[in-house]
Parts: sequence; structure tokens; C-alpha cells
Amino acid sequence: MTDCPGADCAHAPANHTQLSENGIRLLVDRFYEKVRRDEKLGPIFEAAIAEDEWPAHLSTMHDFWSSIMLTSGRYHGNPVVAHRRVDGITPALFERWLALFAETCSELFDQALVATFMDKAKRIATSLQLALFYKPEHDRPGAAP
Amino acid sequence: MTYVVTENCIKCKYMDCVEVCPVDCFYEGDNMLVIHPDECIDCGVCEPECPAEAIIPDTEPGLEKWLNLNAEHAETWPNITVKRAAPPDADAFNGTPGKFEKYFSPDPGQGDGADETQAAPQPEAAPEP
Repeated sequence: MTDCPGADCAHAPANHTQLSENGIRLLVDRFYEKVRRDEKLGPIFEAAIAEDEWPAHLSTMHDFWSSIMLTSGRYHGNPVVAHRRVDGITPALFERWLALFAETCSELFDQALVATFMDKAKRIATSLQLALFYKPEHDRPGAAP
Repeated sequence: MTYVVTENCIKCKYMDCVEVCPVDCFYEGDNMLVIHPDECIDCGVCEPECPAEAIIPDTEPGLEKWLNLNAEHAETWPNITVKRAAPPDADAFNGTPGKFEKYFSPDPGQGDGADETQAAPQPEAAPEP
């Protein structure tokens, strides 16, 4: 466990170079506040996650990003299956998600850390989209569009 | 996109990767691990954890053989999410050339939970009268 207080992130966001569990919690909470208010993402998330399920969802997302960024091994799950259950999910929504995530990271962390977060987020988003939307038959030369 | 386990895992099987993988996409063979390409979310957390540097992103060239091997065996080998001790001679094999030709085994490994007590065969239920 690191001892970097999350409060530091809030007061001196641009200088927050050492990532901690608190930093991740702050990012996740702030990001999903934006998501829920967002014109495009809000309705999708509200339909997928009931009001009383949000605390558990945020906790899962803390664990997920802790596993990705701090290799804590706290998250174990199947994000592809979770996203398959989401009604109305589209590639455009992934782009919107990434834009909001980048915006939130930039409010909290320095450039290098934002770049690391975004590298991971983009890779995962691409991977999820391949799993959700990719149709191998579209790759065949001469296949109908 | 996915990460791929390559030749230097053979006979090393350090298994540090399985503990950090958030989506539990490693599968265990007799003497190496593979990644299920449809389950990997390309987060890259495992790559720096591998002491044998055997885990590589599929965006690198020349990985077709290993992509196919990972995809094929991930379907039949057991899932592994909890690290066990590496083979005692793992360090001696780390980096030795030609491991695939000499040592690769298509046999499944023990996977999670298959310790000796659980691996003991269960007595078969009496046939229905």
C-alpha cells in the first residue's frame, strides 16, 4: 500500500506524479460523476446500472484500475461479458468514454501519468470493441460491405 | 488485440503473470502457459511481470506461430489464476535456444485447484438400477 493521500491529488492535481490507490479512487469517482451527467453516456449507464448498484460498480472500477495501474490483482472479472449485456453500446460511445476519461485524468494527474492511463484505456477500449463489434467476415476480400 | 506467450516460457513457467492478470486469461500446459486471445483485454499488465520476457503484444511482427499456439491450447488447457512455484530448473532454461523443438509439450497442466487431494479420482456413483 502506498501512503499518498488522495487529498493531495485534489489540492495539487497537476503535480501528482506518484499514483496511489487514493488517486485511482478519486479519478474513478470523478469520472463516473461526469459519465452520469453526460448527454450520450448517461442514459446508457443509467439503463445498465440501477441507482442502488452504483456503489458496487464504483468499487469494482476502483479494483479494476488498481489492477491495471498498480498491478494489485484486486480485480478479477470478465469485462467483455459485462459489456455484451449493455443495450445500445456503440463504437462512438467508446470514443466519448475515452474523451471524458482523458479530461478527468488531466484534471488530476501530470502529463506523463495521463499518458500512461490513456495508453491503457485506449488499448482496453480497442480490445473490447474488437470483442463486441468485430465481424471476421468483413475481412474477406470481395466480401459484401 | 492480445498479448501472446512465446517460446521462452517453455520449461520456465514462472507464473508471475497469472496473479496480476485482471481477466484470468492464462491457461496452463505441461511446461508453458498460454493466453486466451478472446479473453485478453490487452492491458499489458502481465508483460513486465514475466521474468523470462516471454509475453509479447500481438502487434509485434512474426508472431503467427505463437498466436495460433496460444489460441489452440487456450481452448483445452485448464485455466490458471493462482501462481505456484516455478520448476526447480526454470532459471537454467531461461533464454536457452530451440526450446519449442526440444521440449514443447501439448499436454495440459494441472491448472487451479488441481492439487493432489482434489486430483484423486472420485469413486463412480453406483449405476442406476
